[in-house]
Amino acid sequence: MTFLLDRDEGKERLAASAHEVVDQDRSPHATRTVFDRLSSSDRRGFLKSTGLTALGAALGMAVPFGRHFPDGLVPAAFAQDTGSDLMSEKDGLTIHNDRPLNAETPANLLDDDITPYSRLFVRANGLVPQSALDKDASDWTLTIDGEVENELSLTVDDLKNDFEHVTLALVLECGGNGRAFFQPGASGNQWTVGAVGCPQWTGVRLRDVLEKAGVKSSAVYTGHYGNDVDISGDPDKVVISRGVPIEKALEPEALIAWEMNGEDIPALHGFPLRLVIPGYPGSVSQKYLTRIWIRDKEHDGPKMGGYSYRMPKYPVAPGTEVPEEDMEILTVMPVKSIITAPTTGTEVTQGQAVEVRGHAWAGDGDVKAMHVSLDFGQTWQEATLEPAPNKYAWQRWRAEVTPPEQGYYEVWARATDMNDVSQPAVTPGWNPRGYGNNMIHRLALFAS
Amino acid sequence: MYSRLLLSAAIAFAAATGISLSAAAQGSDSRAAADEILLAQAMRYDPMRPAMPSPGAAPRPEGNPEFDGLIDGPGAEETFYMCSACHSIALVKQQRLSDARWDYLWKWMIEEQGMADGGEELRETILNYLKEHYSSQR
Repeated sequence: MTFLLDRDEGKERLAASAHEVVDQDRSPHATRTVFDRLSSSDRRGFLKSTGLTALGAALGMAVPFGRHFPDGLVPAAFAQDTGSDLMSEKDGLTIHNDRPLNAETPANLLDDDITPYSRLFVRANGLVPQSALDKDASDWTLTIDGEVENELSLTVDDLKNDFEHVTLALVLECGGNGRAFFQPGASGNQWTVGAVGCPQWTGVRLRDVLEKAGVKSSAVYTGHYGNDVDISGDPDKVVISRGVPIEKALEPEALIAWEMNGEDIPALHGFPLRLVIPGYPGSVSQKYLTRIWIRDKEHDGPKMGGYSYRMPKYPVAPGTEVPEEDMEILTVMPVKSIITAPTTGTEVTQGQAVEVRGHAWAGDGDVKAMHVSLDFGQTWQEATLEPAPNKYAWQRWRAEVTPPEQGYYEVWARATDMNDVSQPAVTPGWNPRGYGNNMIHRLALFAS
Repeated sequence: MYSRLLLSAAIAFAAATGISLSAAAQGSDSRAAADEILLAQAMRYDPMRPAMPSPGAAPRPEGNPEFDGLIDGPGAEETFYMCSACHSIALVKQQRLSDARWDYLWKWMIEEQGMADGGEELRETILNYLKEHYSSQR
């Protein structure tokens, strides 16, 4: 028997560049949106299309004659590139949003132990800054101020020369990874399972830098700033500024990094400097890092308050309108795992063992155990689980499953953390913005 | 060797998951070829597919290319201009929110994200449109 469509689909998924993924949306207009309007190689098309919509926003109303708006009269701020050209360097990612850029990696493309650049998800709150697009760090300074004895202003070379270098494999996961599975829906990019990756980062310990600055006893929280550009084009607007409790910032795995997988951090991921503070939602790991403000209270930058990166203080029924004052900051990410092989929908042979494998990670460190089920969670077998190369790296797990007879099977994979907390089979605690979904990952197998 | 059991499983999943069976009825002469197509379609089933807009709801219609694929209807044009001034319409089209969440988002866009406040009439027009077409309630 043959599985022509399936094989084609598999090939398509493996070979699909970001451009091809967009092309799956058959609308020619969708293609234009990415290639024409947003492409810096055709700035004119970009300006023509976004300029008149920007005018609409500036006026606060629709612009019925916007089509006749002259090309030249475009708000200058909109000249900033989204960085979408760089998506051609990505391999097979699913694009959720092209302004700002947001794209996730299909599970079967996350099989590498160290996630390569081409397969690392992209979560941008703003536009890629020009300094990153130009790969220009010559004038870069990182300021450490606030509740410190000595305010610091450090160049990238200062960081490289004055502090011990550290290289660690660290998981980055978007706080909203899994949002797509909440019902009713939660606003934001509809991430499924692939807004996660584990590259290798090189930099210095945030702790070492903070110790040189001399953290005062009044320090409570960090506040992080970068130079990315707001999608409204307003050059003065801070896109996102989040932070962590000072204790978290002082953990030895929290880095100020300048390299990812042995190369300068790519423009999409924060060139020239970014924080990598593992275990917390990815948004605390500020890209394009320019300033760390040590606060004497919980940081209150954009996307610290309201419903952003916040969970209800108590369990709520799906769809509940939770008062803002009953929301609290999402900190430690829950235990989670992903099946990276085989690809969902694979055809296998009854009675023959199939290797399934993937990665497991937890927001507070190592994973204790990994189990898989081939019978919809009725029985579980333990998988082998490799130790993490360092704390906050994901761990490789493998298992062999044998479909006893022909038919439809699902592989379910469940990780358990050091506190004996396991992944749930269904979405855990619904919350208004759809964070922290660590439901069990499942894939389909057809046995013949 | 073709497996009838596997095929019936495939058909069941195709039915349960809303995968179109039309290809089998259309271009294939032989039963076997139709079966192949059915099975191949069923094998696209992904247990981790995202939640549907709302259970039992009809699939969203094809959008209007003039408005980056927003569903046609009163308010589509206003919604397009207002939202695409800052972010991609792709972000709008992904949503399936309660009315209360849409109300909140409007306020958030103005207060936290610097969206222009275009007045009550525009607010009504756009929110009515979004609640009608990108809802978890209807």
